[in-house]
Amino acid sequence: MNDFWKLFSRNRSAVLGLLILCLVIFVASIASLIYPGDPFLYSKYPLSKPGENGFLLGSDSIGRDVASGIAHGAKTSLLIGLIATFAAVLIGVIFGALAGYYGGLVDDVLMRVTEVFQTIPSFIFAILLVAIIKPSIESVVIAITVVSWPAVARLVRGEFLALKNREFVQACHTLGMSDYRIMLKEILPNCLSPIIVIGSLMVATAILIESGLAFLGLGDPNVMSWGFQISDGRSMLRVAWWICTFPGIAILITVLAINLVGEGLNDALNPRLRERN
Amino acid sequence: MKITKFMNAVMMTAAITFGGGAVQAQQSGGSLVFLVQPEPPTMAGYVSTSGPIGLLGPKIYDGLFDYDNDGKMIPVLAESVDMSEDGKTVTFNLRKGVTWHDGKPFTSADVQFTIMDVLKKVHPRGPNSFKEVSSIDTPDAHTVVLNLDNPAPYMLRALSAYESPMVPKHLLEGEDIKSAKLANNPVGTGPFKFTEWKKGQYIRLDKNETYWKEGRPYIDRIVGRFIPDASTRASAMEKGEVLYAAYNAVSNVEAVRLNKEKDNISITTDGYSMINPMALIEFNTKEGPFTDAVVRRAISTAIDRQFMLDTIFFGYGNPATSALSSNFAATGLHAEMPHYPANGDVAAANKMLDDAGYKKDSDGVRMTAMFDLIPYGEDWKRGGQYIQQVLGEIGIQVELRYEDVPTWLKRIYHNYDFEMNLNYFYQLADPVLGVHRHYGTNMIRKGTHFVNSSRYSNAGLDALLGAGMKEPNAESRSAIYLEIQNILARDMPVVNLFELEFLTVYNTKLKGAYGSAMGAYSSFGDAYLEE
Repeated sequence: MNDFWKLFSRNRSAVLGLLILCLVIFVASIASLIYPGDPFLYSKYPLSKPGENGFLLGSDSIGRDVASGIAHGAKTSLLIGLIATFAAVLIGVIFGALAGYYGGLVDDVLMRVTEVFQTIPSFIFAILLVAIIKPSIESVVIAITVVSWPAVARLVRGEFLALKNREFVQACHTLGMSDYRIMLKEILPNCLSPIIVIGSLMVATAILIESGLAFLGLGDPNVMSWGFQISDGRSMLRVAWWICTFPGIAILITVLAINLVGEGLNDALNPRLRERN
Repeated sequence: MKITKFMNAVMMTAAITFGGGAVQAQQSGGSLVFLVQPEPPTMAGYVSTSGPIGLLGPKIYDGLFDYDNDGKMIPVLAESVDMSEDGKTVTFNLRKGVTWHDGKPFTSADVQFTIMDVLKKVHPRGPNSFKEVSSIDTPDAHTVVLNLDNPAPYMLRALSAYESPMVPKHLLEGEDIKSAKLANNPVGTGPFKFTEWKKGQYIRLDKNETYWKEGRPYIDRIVGRFIPDASTRASAMEKGEVLYAAYNAVSNVEAVRLNKEKDNISITTDGYSMINPMALIEFNTKEGPFTDAVVRRAISTAIDRQFMLDTIFFGYGNPATSALSSNFAATGLHAEMPHYPANGDVAAANKMLDDAGYKKDSDGVRMTAMFDLIPYGEDWKRGGQYIQQVLGEIGIQVELRYEDVPTWLKRIYHNYDFEMNLNYFYQLADPVLGVHRHYGTNMIRKGTHFVNSSRYSNAGLDALLGAGMKEPNAESRSAIYLEIQNILARDMPVVNLFELEFLTVYNTKLKGAYGSAMGAYSSFGDAYLEE
């Protein structure tokens, strides 16, 4: 662990990213403490400028607090990002592992299925899915998962293909270990690092997709999110710039931070890059 | 108010028009590009009353009459109308020398065909407007005699080019009217001829050189542009690429800004008095949590209508005070009713629910419900979010649902699969035309849009609606509608929220386009551009 941290911290921007990410997580976790009310709660002070009427970042057209929306939106964005990524990684690992390990017909079938998903532009596919199922937090997670898993499956398949003929795996075969145990206990731990890296970057993509969907009006109307705030304030950009500017900055720095962390993880976990920097 | 700016423009126009010897006169020529939002499905204004069709249709098709801003009838295809003593015979004297855009003459046979075979059969509101018309005689080519079963004074408010366009018999006779080719290649008698429809971009109309009105139209070409994005529409207006935008095609917030910042852009709320739009919540009165009228009354009591108008529609509009719009006050058909506090009264609403025995649980929730929102843009979404909060305060926890237009229409008007629905209706120029369809038992028409989706049925009310339709005496009529409003304020199958005031944003270069009560749904025959 100490080694890992030493490698990770060599990448200064990754540490900065981690700090920002921790800050976002912190804000998300105390959102209900600092802004106890519903973020959709209107007030009698619509379109207050930042700092006016006690609104740190201003208020929107029906007097909702932009800062409260950002804090509660952080929770939504991070949760959607994490859950969707977890689900996508799970599905991707199962598909990729089976295809890579067994090869042959299983590989052909699973990879053709994966390709079908990969040939459809992912954001348009996500829009389609959310439009078919009714816009809700669940359908957004499902849509992000469905468009994200093929990349993981591809990656895991490649790793399994490369590892399955190595001596230690053959040794396991000789010892009479079950396929299931070999895959889970022997090969998977050896390809964990690229999975962690791709997973961390996927959280960022998931947050972007969620914001994009909410921006297009396909988010859950009952849940506060950054994309919703931007979409709501966009038509008022000329009159009240703060409504969509601050959530936009929130998305920007969060996605940037996650990407930096992912980059740092890559540096730390990939032995071939250890001598970089 | 900002309206003064518009009034000045009107005065100036009037001065120019009537000022005898004034330097400027109406200039001929030029192209008028204006916003049509969204793109219309067809150009068949005789089949659908959809808004965007109304923006273009009346430029191509004439009506028998138009109406000025005071509600006075302006002769168009009919030069005059006579009504018999008993109100059961209505005679129109048609204008002579009018031709269709394809050169064929316009005659009484066209009017007869339009009313009997088109408007009474396929038009959404025509069956109501012309309900009492049993037959039409055409003694000569320029006289039309309508024989009515009962007097129908409201019919004379439904003769505009938008509400009842006159269509060519020779192009529709023997065809299936709903699918006839005329829908996409309109041929009318109006000041402009249909020329081109570039899907997704624009519809182009050119000057009708043989228009019956001498010297009109002034403008050579009208182009209705479709711009799906709201901010792009506003900037097109700002840059002068488009000169006219009605029905909030440019949102109120941008309209107010443009009016303030640009000298050559003004706004007006004129031109909507015959449309009379009312924002409202429809309730499912047959199943779900809102079968009890007490709950519906409590909801009406809790909502701060003025707040919604001020924040979401920037102050344009009036809080509703009854099932009927206050615009009907002019004809004595409006009275203020209880349970319509302009600023909302959450405490009173809570008390009503407490008294009726709806207990709050430990989380302060009495009941939960699904709230559908009209999918016409973010203003309505914001309105829904506000109402969600207010209902939370009186212990009704609602979840919002926002779907695409076809799914939503199907849910509300085909399947009745809803509990409460945010919507708006046009109350039009008379309650018979726009309001009856919301409450009558005979208006529970599965699959027909914008009728009685609450499935509210009350024999007493039905009788009153029937009486209100036939009553020729203004005083007795006002008494009937007072009773109707009392019943509806008690039962509240629909909670009216506010009378919407749409904004028209226009470039001051465009003159003469504001004289009709139909506003954007008028012909623009008198409009001209000043360079």
